[in-house]
Order: sequence, then C-alpha cells, then structure tokens
Amino acid sequence: MSTLMYDTYTIFWRELKRYKKSRSGVLIRLIQPAIWIIVIGNTFSGTQPLIQSVGFEGEYIEFMTPGVIILTAIFTSIFGGVNTLWDRRYGFMNKALTSPISRSSIALGKMSAISLIAAMQASLILGIALAIGVSFPNPIMIVPIMTIVILFSLGFSGISVMVAATAKSQETFWGVINFLGMPLFMLSPALFPLELLPEWLAVIAKLNPVTYTVLLVREMMTGVSEGGIPVLLSLGILVGFVLVMVALASYVFTREVNKPF
Amino acid sequence: MYSIETKSLTKSFGNIIAVNDVSFSVEEGEIFGFLGPNGAGKSTTMMILTTLLKPTSGQALISGFDVMKNAKQVRENIGYVQQESTVDEYLTGRENLLLQAKLNHIPKKEINKRIDDVLELIELADKQDHAVVTYSGGMRKRLDIAGGLLHRPRVLFLDEPTVGLDIQTRRKIWEYIKKIHTEFEMTIFLSTHYMEEADNLCDRVGIIDGGKIQIIDSPENMKNAMGNEVISIVVDEGEHTSFLSEIEKIGFVKKISKDGSKLILFASNGTEVIPQIFQISSKLDIKIISISLTQPTLDDVFISYTGYEIRDDDSGFNRKREHAKMKRLRA
Repeated sequence: MSTLMYDTYTIFWRELKRYKKSRSGVLIRLIQPAIWIIVIGNTFSGTQPLIQSVGFEGEYIEFMTPGVIILTAIFTSIFGGVNTLWDRRYGFMNKALTSPISRSSIALGKMSAISLIAAMQASLILGIALAIGVSFPNPIMIVPIMTIVILFSLGFSGISVMVAATAKSQETFWGVINFLGMPLFMLSPALFPLELLPEWLAVIAKLNPVTYTVLLVREMMTGVSEGGIPVLLSLGILVGFVLVMVALASYVFTREVNKPF
Repeated sequence: MYSIETKSLTKSFGNIIAVNDVSFSVEEGEIFGFLGPNGAGKSTTMMILTTLLKPTSGQALISGFDVMKNAKQVRENIGYVQQESTVDEYLTGRENLLLQAKLNHIPKKEINKRIDDVLELIELADKQDHAVVTYSGGMRKRLDIAGGLLHRPRVLFLDEPTVGLDIQTRRKIWEYIKKIHTEFEMTIFLSTHYMEEADNLCDRVGIIDGGKIQIIDSPENMKNAMGNEVISIVVDEGEHTSFLSEIEKIGFVKKISKDGSKLILFASNGTEVIPQIFQISSKLDIKIISISLTQPTLDDVFISYTGYEIRDDDSGFNRKREHAKMKRLRA
C-alpha cells in the first residue's frame, strides 16, 4: 500500500513538473469559461424570473457561476489524460512500465495531478467571477467547494485516462472526449434549474454525476438548495462516482497498457 | 545461471511472425549484440525481454526470473534504454534522473549520491540544472543511458544506442558504454544495425534476420570462418549462372553471395583466385566493371548470412517482403 502511494506520488510529481513548465496554456484554457460567465451570464440576465420561480433570489450570473466552475473542472480534467497518448508515443510510458512501479500507480498519479490542475483552473474562474461582481456570502465555504471540485475532477480524469489508454490515436481520443464532455455539461442544472427541464431530460440529468456536483457547489455558494435533493445524498453520489471511476480507470489502464501500442 | 536465456521464443502479430523460435543465452557480465536490419525482430525481442510484450510461445528468463510469471522481479533487475530519447524535455537533467531514481525505488538517502556519481560518469555534471530541451542529441542519449543504470541493474538493455548520432558522438557513446561496463560489471544486451558498433563493443553477436537467429558467435570467430579474404566483383547486369558455377569450382573459394550485380566471394587465397576469375570471365565473355580484395568485416559476415547488405533504411526488410509477395503471386 505504501509503495502504491509512493509510486503514485512519483507520477503525480512528474505530471505537475511538466504542467508547471508549460504554463502558457493556463491562460488560454481560462478564456472559454471566462467567456461563458461574461457573455452567457449577462445575455441571460433577463431570465431572472425563471430562476426566482425555483426560489433563487439573486442575479442569473450568480446562479450560473457554480455551473461554470464545474464546466472548467469538466473540461480541464476530461482533456487532461491526453498526455497519456504522448507518453506512449514518446517512450516515457515504456520507461515507467519496465520499472518496478505498478500500472495502477501510473493511472492514479496522472489522475490526481489532473484533478489538482483542474481545481486550480476552477479557482481562477471563481476569482474572475468575484472580480466581475458575483457575491460570495460565506468565504470560508471555499474549502469544501474546492474539495468537491478536486473530488469531482478526480472522477472525470478517470474517464479521460481510460479513453486515452484505450484510444490508439489522438483523433479517437478527441472524438470520444468531445462526444462525452458537452452533453454531460448540458444535461445538468449548470445553466438552468433542474425543475425547468422537461420530464424526460430531468430523468437523464438525475443519472448524471455532474448534476449532483453542481447542486452541491451552488448550495455552498448561494445557500439555495433546489430540486429537493439533500446535500448528503448528492455527496454520497459524488463519492460513489469517484470511487467507481478510480477503480475502473486503474483496471482499464492496466489492461490497455499491457497491450502493444 | 545465465543472465539472459530464451527458449524457442516466438511472437506473432496476426499473420506476421516477428520473432521466430529464437533461443540463445547470455553469460553474466557479457556484452551481447543483436545485429540485424530494421524489422528483423530486434526490438520485438527486446520488448519481450523487458516485459513490455508477452511472447506468443516459448520462454524468456532474466537472471533466472521468467518475464511472464515474475515480471516484477525482472523489472527490478533490468535497465532499459530505448531507441528514441525518453527524457522529459522541459525538466532539467537532474530532475529527469530524480524521476528515474524514484521510479526504480532507489532508497531516498542514496538518491542524491547516485545521481552525482552517474552525472560525473557521463560528464554531464555541469549541465545538470539546464532543461533537457537545450541538450544536444548526444547529451540526451547520455542522459538516457545514465537513467538506465542509476539503479545498478544486473542487465542493461540498450536498443540501438547510437542510431541517428554523428560518427564522433557515436564513438563517444561507445566509450561510455565500455566505461559503465567496466565500472558496474553488468550484463549488456544491445541491438544495433551498425556492424562497426557490434564489432567494437560486443563479446558475442547474434545475427537476426526475418525473426530468426542466423548465427551466434564472437565477431572474431565469425570473420575467421569467412576465410582470409573477401573479393567483391561488380559485373555487367544480366544472367551470370554459368559464371557463378565456374567460380564455385575454384578450389580456394569458400562461399559466394550475390547482391544485385555485385558478387562477394569468401576465399582463403584471394591473390591466386583473382587471375582465375579473369580467365573465366574472358572465356564466358562477361564484363567485370571492378574487382577488389579486402579483409573480411562483420559486414561481409552479415551478407553471407542474410544475402544483402545492411542499410540505414529498411530496404532489407522490404526486399524480403517483396520477395514473399511475389512468391504468393506466383503460387
């Protein structure tokens, strides 16, 4: 067990080192979510009556900020596994595979690095939101919010690492990832209240782990709970999702990297 | 116990047999070279020995551990330096070695000392804090090799260690390989398609072609078995069957191989063979464009076993494939 943790940390350390040295991408990746907040947040400000109908008193932009934080987390983490393909192409993977570390520690190290990076990106978006006037009643809530973002990103990075380990090419990876990312974001209450979704869409949304994460973050940021889903249930579903993804990703990754690339 | 031992090792990908019934053994402390053209099965064999690929059949043992059943123990005992550079470009040389040390579970309090020693050995100590992106090809290769021996493996695998490097750098890398071999006394298994490299470094060489081992011996023995002299003759294009059969009748000629319009003769008394060749050619009215007499090199050994010269590109491999294709078409 302690070896697994040591090895996971080794990979985690390497991934963060690499990330730190390629900083130019950080700002570029912030542009899209910033546009979401600024453009969609202001364009849809007229939808306030809709939000009020579900008991939300603030501005629309405050309603959707948690959604955009999760949007950042989704895309940073679901894209994050792509360097697995580079590692396989350029030999780092073979170097790691011929060393005594376990295959799952490679997957877990990558996933934990991705989730930390996703949380850092998400906190920058939160900073932008505060800068353009979104209020944040209880600053101490930043701690549980970031914990939830890290957990959630860990689960999503599992999807990314699995797809990257299974895909043999960049094209396949991006095809699958784009097919997954947007629908998972749209089929959640990130932009609109759950109650306003048509019945059949609401059913799908309730199967989506993104839904519960958005509800949790929104409740912590604004104090408004919606959809009648208790916090503990949301938290339980999120933790369950993460555990399943961690186990599944380690399994799939180990199986796939043992096949010739 | 052998350092490396394979028994009827076979690996096929679908219909293609990459490694075909390969059996050999390498003694502790030996430098063993795998020589063959691209596509001969060198890398596939090395990937099996380093636990990256599972053989289709047969067995491979590293320091007595089975690569399939005891993969973890095998990984603890080997260092693997891949053909392409695998160092992280944006990390410094030292950071790369630190990563390698951690991957190989070197005890924490020894890590810094080991890295210092190995940086000294490969003469990169003064560049250790520069990002690898600023290193030359030769420096990267040295860093790769350093990473492979940091944990003092009992068997070090070097996959084409000097491919793509210029001649001076190549010689420098050979010096480093010899130096680490004397220092750590580990077994070294290297693959190459450079004759000179195999000749220069290896105690024994296995020539592999089309997935099969053609011969294993020391470079010296191989060259001696060829006879004392090599005669290369370039003749006009055309059919030379009668010419060949006449030459074969000359007593001193041990072996003939043909590479296009070039004939290569291995003979024990070359200076007496050449006049006889001229007699035959004038009798048969065959035009000799050039003729030369040389000492045998490993290159000649290679040609005698595979029937073509080794090249940097993969024309050797393609020729085989084309040949197979034509055979199929004829059938």
